Amino acid sequence: MAPVEISGLSKRFSGVLAVNDLSFEIEAGRVTGFLGPNGAGKSTTLRALLGLIRPTAGTATFGGRRYEELERPSTQVGAVLEDASFHPGRTARNHLRVLAATGDHAFERVDAVLADVGLSDAADRRVGGYSMGMKQRLGIAAALLGDPEVLILDEPTNGLDPPGIAWMRGLVREQAERGRAVLISSHLLAEVAQSVDDVVVISHGELRARGTLEDVLGGDEGLVTVVRAQDDDRLARALQDAGHPVQRSGDGLLVPGVSPEEVGVVAGDAGVYLVGLAPQVRSLEQAFFALTGDKG
Amino acid sequence: MTSLLRAELLKLRTTRTFAALVAAALVLSLLVVVLTGLLSDDWTEENTRGLFAADFTGLFIMLLGIIGMAGEWRHRTITGTFLAAPNRVRLLAAKGLSYAVAGVVLSLIVTVTIMVVGTVILASRGIDTLSLATLLDVLWRNLLVSALVGALGVGVGALLRNQVVAIIGVLLIGFVVDPALFALVPEVAAYSPTGGAPGGIIGIDAFGDTDTDTLLAPGVAVLVMFGWIAAFFAAAGARLRGGDLV
Repeated sequence: MAPVEISGLSKRFSGVLAVNDLSFEIEAGRVTGFLGPNGAGKSTTLRALLGLIRPTAGTATFGGRRYEELERPSTQVGAVLEDASFHPGRTARNHLRVLAATGDHAFERVDAVLADVGLSDAADRRVGGYSMGMKQRLGIAAALLGDPEVLILDEPTNGLDPPGIAWMRGLVREQAERGRAVLISSHLLAEVAQSVDDVVVISHGELRARGTLEDVLGGDEGLVTVVRAQDDDRLARALQDAGHPVQRSGDGLLVPGVSPEEVGVVAGDAGVYLVGLAPQVRSLEQAFFALTGDKG
Repeated sequence: MTSLLRAELLKLRTTRTFAALVAAALVLSLLVVVLTGLLSDDWTEENTRGLFAADFTGLFIMLLGIIGMAGEWRHRTITGTFLAAPNRVRLLAAKGLSYAVAGVVLSLIVTVTIMVVGTVILASRGIDTLSLATLLDVLWRNLLVSALVGALGVGVGALLRNQVVAIIGVLLIGFVVDPALFALVPEVAAYSPTGGAPGGIIGIDAFGDTDTDTLLAPGVAVLVMFGWIAAFFAAAGARLRGGDLV
């Protein structure tokens, strides 16, 4: 059973369909980017998953159970939502101690997660004086308190400076390597592209694409291999003889619908030396705009 | 439930609002006892009893209950609270219970303090003080009222969710509506959750009178308070259960 499974999820607010028949799963040990423009329905989906709003139809479950049905949810799911907020008069340490008490975690975990997110020195300061980046780190510390199986991060790079963003990337990769399922929602594609294994793209509340990052990057135009050889003409003939379409480009040949591995095999069989071989993929932004209809 | 109760009590203790309101309850109660003890010359047993019932914990624990619950929406911490404790009804119950416990502890501190200080002042003036049995009778009533209004405050905060509206509303009812009702229709005022019913438990009406026929019997007053608390919690629970947190 998938750690997170969303099946036929719909949510209507006062006549407006925010999410429409959305279905996808995320896997353990992988980072899944949940992508879409602002207003696409990402936060609504996450809130339905976390039991904060009631779906109009469909289900959103963790290992087959709704969030409200989880025993000690902090040991199974850690979540940082975009509007995560803290009592300004409480210190970070006390904020985490309250959560530790709620989830029956030892108070030693508080010091551990504070160290993990780099807030040990600021632990006894009131949160009202924290920067946005520090609050983001505190939210992540709270999510990690129960060492959960699933980590959900809603726009996690908001408010983080470049070193903070790099730290966040390292954190999510580390969590995935430890076998955790990580779901990151974002509208800033460039910031998650380096971290994610899989992507789920939604727009206007509906699923537009899902799969590995490479699959979705390929988009609806498919893969194109760019190849350069010592003798481009000989390679072009070999490829055409093998039944592959070939187009000339300024710096070599374009072979649509054929993987670099297949092109390499044809070149090897023909005894043509290659000097360059790579897939030409559209940028994630290009693929994203094509999928969502957003002009960027 | 124990974990939730522990967390709510920790939450309560870790803000400056709590310290400020606890200090205010203690100072205000002491001020009334010291000034009355030193300046008044009219000392019957009923008056002395009334003096030691001057525990302002009830007012402040009710405000704390409102702030503790409605403040979750004000500071937008309610999302994190619901994520940590997704059973909303159980959370509401734990919060109500924690403020009841806090009310008992706070009232114990304030009442014992004013009893000690008041007894010393009266004894130094050669005025008869209360027997231990009477003091204990005053004490349990104060503790019970503080526990009940603490829980009630949570119910009011959970139902209204707007901290400012809830606090102003409770203060208006307690300081304007209740005295007016006692003057005009005391038989109705006796059922008020902010004046008549707590007064029935302590034995003092909205004007500080201890020998009044308009108050409910303590047992009835306790039942009335339970009724108000149940009504607020039922309405707040229904609102919490059915509502989306967007």
